[in-house]
Amino acid sequence: MSPQSRTLLAVAVLALALAVPAGAYLKLGTRVGSRTESLRWREFPVRYFVTDASVAGVTAQQFQAAVTRAFGTWHAVENAQTSSTFVGFVQAPPFVEDGANVIGYLSQPGQDRTLAATTFTVDETDGRILESDIYFNTIFPWSTAEAGGTDRYDVESIALHEIGHLLGLSHSALGETELIGGGRRVIAAEAVMFPIAFTRGNIADRTLKADDIAGISDIYGTTTFAREFGSISGRVTKDGRGVQGAHVVAFNPKTGKLVGGFTLNESGNFVIAGLEPGPHVLRAEPLDDGDANSFFDDDFDVDVDFRVAFYQRVVAVPSGGGARDVEIKVIAK
Amino acid sequence: MIGAVGAVTCVRRASLALLTLACVVPAMAQTPGSAPRRARVELTGGGVLAGGYDLGDSTARLTPNSGSSGFEQFSTDNRVRQVVGVQAKIGVVVSPSIVVEGGFRFTQPVYEVRVTGDAEGAPDTTIEETLSQYVFDGSVVWNVTRAAFAGGRVLPFLSGGAGYLRELHEEDALVEEGLEYHAGGGLKWWFGEGRRRFGVRGEGGISIRDGGFDFKDGRRVVPVVSGSLVYAF
Repeated sequence: MSPQSRTLLAVAVLALALAVPAGAYLKLGTRVGSRTESLRWREFPVRYFVTDASVAGVTAQQFQAAVTRAFGTWHAVENAQTSSTFVGFVQAPPFVEDGANVIGYLSQPGQDRTLAATTFTVDETDGRILESDIYFNTIFPWSTAEAGGTDRYDVESIALHEIGHLLGLSHSALGETELIGGGRRVIAAEAVMFPIAFTRGNIADRTLKADDIAGISDIYGTTTFAREFGSISGRVTKDGRGVQGAHVVAFNPKTGKLVGGFTLNESGNFVIAGLEPGPHVLRAEPLDDGDANSFFDDDFDVDVDFRVAFYQRVVAVPSGGGARDVEIKVIAK
Repeated sequence: MIGAVGAVTCVRRASLALLTLACVVPAMAQTPGSAPRRARVELTGGGVLAGGYDLGDSTARLTPNSGSSGFEQFSTDNRVRQVVGVQAKIGVVVSPSIVVEGGFRFTQPVYEVRVTGDAEGAPDTTIEETLSQYVFDGSVVWNVTRAAFAGGRVLPFLSGGAGYLRELHEEDALVEEGLEYHAGGGLKWWFGEGRRRFGVRGEGGISIRDGGFDFKDGRRVVPVVSGSLVYAF
């Protein structure tokens, strides 16, 4: 039996994940010796159960329907191959290592800023996901109303984010926040996988953004994706030295799409994959719109002491290849 | 021959069509002569000035949260600058009035992005990319022989045709293709009267591009002027 471990991820304000040094956004990973393997499902469809429980305003059937729609949104990504099957309702709660993928409610009053979370059982030898559960925290009010419930969080939006984790994605930093009452409030975001949810009643996160689509396509991309999409790789440097943990965003001025990535080592190397061919503007910024541990391990040092900067050339992304050796030079604040 | 040498010098020095025309025009009345009606082929080579075009504005915009008015990370203003390049043509003289030409044009226009209004204070900046643009085209040239002047040596003409547009981004990372249609007119000024002779050619017109590097579907119109040396034989 392959060695297995249980890794906890959580949405809204915290996540623990190893960052895989390839692709936009972040992919979840696990250490295998000296390398990092992406977490991914090797067999589809993903078979999932839903806990047969209700909360105020949402029946188990409504909850299941919203979760199924969220799965369907990920499966509809044109250049990624994923699928899932709802097997049935169960009495078992999520977060029990029982070999079944269970999605349901849990009361987690100690996690008063965590709307929902995802856990995994993975094969540490190759990153294969063996089991994944998702819980929705019952201390928050929930809704499945088509237009969003007043003063309630939208199940489908949060499910879309958590299923992104379930499929192997970590968090994106494509968002802006403001500090309020010791916490962070989202001003705007351009990724469902941004770690902090929109406010109650908002259903904007029922729709995947370019960054999310690039991420899922990078993990489960079709041959068409490999042939027709491209990447940008390079470094972010400050005084000639690499900047670790910088957020790098590729903007396509033709489409208006944004896809982000990170520098994931001390050399400041980054790769942003899943980009449509065409010209891109590159921008590097410090990771200051979320807690660093929403994106990286606690022992990953994030350098935020630099000013926002643009790369001084337009970067043309080829089809099926990569633009390489880009160096974005930043200066200290 | 003095007039010819003078004209050639001007072309070499400026290589811009407008300046070439400026050299040609004062010389028109200097040397009377006739058009080379016995020539079968015309070889043309020279410089071309193609106008720039606007690609429009584009904003890096994030989806606003409830109660937020929206968030613009930064804005861009995109355009392709006007550019000087080279061209070559070979024409077959079908009749004194009609020449059928095949041509090639090469330019390296600069795609310019003006980045402004960064929400986190990055200074405004302009970033660029150099494109390599090739046009392979065919044209029909109508020599307006009835309007020739300066003893027949200066010959107005009208031309029109179509071609294939190929644009390469830096390091040949990406190829963009399209069609090119053009129409215009100009003057040929011939030196000498024999079958083999030199001349200069200046013309202006419009180039309509369908495809290639653009942010919008549809066609765009680019003004083009050129100045060239012509050898007829």
